[in-house]
Amino acid sequence: MEIKRLKLHSFRNYQELDISFNKKINIFIGNNAQGKTNLLESIYLLAISKSHKTYKDKELITFTEKFSRVGAELLKDDSVIRLEIIISPQGKKVFINDVEKRRISEYIGVFNVVMFAPEDLNIVKGDPNYRRKFIDVEIGQTSPIYIHELNQYNKILRERNEFLKLAQQTKKIDYHYLDVITEQLAKLGASITKKRATFIEKLNIYAKKLHNHISNFTEELDIKYQSNYQQQDISFDNILNLYKEYYQTDFHKATTQIGIQRDDIKFYINNVDASLYGSQGQQRTVALAVKLSLIDFIKEETSYYPIVLLDDVLSELDDQRQTQLLDCIKDKVQTFVTTTNISGIKEDLLKKADIFYIKDAKVYEREGDHYGEDK
Amino acid sequence: MYYPDTIQKLIESFSKLPGIGPKSAERLALHVATKMKEEDALSFAKGLISVKRDLMHCSVCGNLTDKNPCSICRDSHRDRSVIAVVEEIKDLIAMEKMREYRGLYHVLNGVISPMNGIGPQDINIPSLLERLKNEEVKEIILATNTTIEGESTALYIAKLLENTDIKVTRIARGLPVGGGLEYADEVTLLKALEGRREIINNNK
Ligand SMILES: Nc1ncnc2c1ncn2[C@@H]1O[C@H](COP(=O)(O)OP(=O)(O)OP(=O)(O)O)[C@@H](O)[C@H]1O
Ligand SMILES: [Mg+2]
Ligand SMILES: [Zn+2]
Repeated sequence: MEIKRLKLHSFRNYQELDISFNKKINIFIGNNAQGKTNLLESIYLLAISKSHKTYKDKELITFTEKFSRVGAELLKDDSVIRLEIIISPQGKKVFINDVEKRRISEYIGVFNVVMFAPEDLNIVKGDPNYRRKFIDVEIGQTSPIYIHELNQYNKILRERNEFLKLAQQTKKIDYHYLDVITEQLAKLGASITKKRATFIEKLNIYAKKLHNHISNFTEELDIKYQSNYQQQDISFDNILNLYKEYYQTDFHKATTQIGIQRDDIKFYINNVDASLYGSQGQQRTVALAVKLSLIDFIKEETSYYPIVLLDDVLSELDDQRQTQLLDCIKDKVQTFVTTTNISGIKEDLLKKADIFYIKDAKVYEREGDHYGEDK
Repeated sequence: MYYPDTIQKLIESFSKLPGIGPKSAERLALHVATKMKEEDALSFAKGLISVKRDLMHCSVCGNLTDKNPCSICRDSHRDRSVIAVVEEIKDLIAMEKMREYRGLYHVLNGVISPMNGIGPQDINIPSLLERLKNEEVKEIILATNTTIEGESTALYIAKLLENTDIKVTRIARGLPVGGGLEYADEVTLLKALEGRREIINNNK
């Protein structure tokens, strides 16, 4: 799986960009605020149909413009697939081979991405929100059913919370209705929990191995899913009973007390909680191992390698970690790297790569030349 | 106020319609004022008045009608032992267009949604229960939409009828007829699979 060509029109600070890629590893070098992250964001958008930075699509449109267009030619199984996303204030349209897809779920999954950026440290360091978002995006990439169930769950949860609020105000409870929406919640919650558990289990296997290598076999990583249900048996009946046990507390607090909206993941290094006690470097290694393990996870789930996007993180890594990274992407995974400083990147990585310079939303093949002008 | 009062009022009226914003309302009002033939405008106005004055909800099923009860409820050829419960009048019309269903209807006029301030009492559920007490009904077909709220509403009605001798069914969901599996999205396909039915069972 490889992006052969990327075209941007009125996307972030890019007016117009048309760029071709020939190698697996592509490195973008540029000063701050030139458009490096924006370029990776456009690739991420093409895969997930959403930005990794914002959920407001409108922010992607160049300030002075009315709409934004992002397109790519993707080489998959020896055939070229054209992808296109058009964003306007009215909404978003997605196209595969010039055919509009009405449902986003019909679009997502043509190719997958793994993005690693400095803020991913929050997966380890940040509050549980970051970890839930991480799980949802990554499972969602390979499972449209998961996205659907999650949307349904959130909708019914909002209805239930509103119902509880009204029940408290009016002191009237329609138990029939409460039973119905609780059953719906339990069914979706059980299914989502099973998928999350399976995902974390797989992630743990891959990430443990990677982490072991990166840490020179001195550290053992363990990733554990903390299901808010805290049940061995995630069956519908069991979860439903649990919700029923919480009815009184739910009324009292006027909001749903248990459910997947309170799930979390825990990271342990040699049995010590890395979020609480890990050093800065240890936390960064965990985040790296987790992200890199997604490469194998996605390969297993979809039988294709994802495209890897490394924003501003490579030159932060020491030799050992860069070697490990190179090992993960081997020669199979197309990778886009950004950095402000080329000197931090290992020589053998540079040798394999095409290097581009970004200045003020223009891409040059050599420092000084406009990209494509001499061809 | 830049427009004369009459136009301003018309703009406001148009903007009360669903899907019409202030810009469209302005365009429509100006169209009526400058382009529309007088006779067309008159018949439009008459139409508006007559749907409000001459039409009412059928006191039995909630359908829109000019005679109460509605023509479906009065039709003696229809099967009075079956009632299809639908969300909106347009769902009833869709069922009628099929020309296959010969039972009666009950229009809920919405779905239960606390988020939108709509409880079971705010849609035509009480009148449905009342109806079931009096009429000889053997089956209720729950034909609400497949949205999560449509599903909650169907399940709610089913729950209310749990200990009666009325058969409660839910319309199937799944693949569109004439479409290949390859064109169905994953969620539809999953629902179709969950709702599969047995053709032959050889290991009885
Ligand atoms: N919608 C938009 N329209 C126009 N310009 C935008 C838009 N959104 C962001 N920008 C501009 O893009 C520039 C930032 O680009 P980007 O984040 O890609 O920088 P970068 O090269 O990654 O820098 P750094 O090295 O600091 O991370 C900013 O100057 C910002 O003002
Ligand atoms: Mg950046
Ligand atoms: Zn009627």
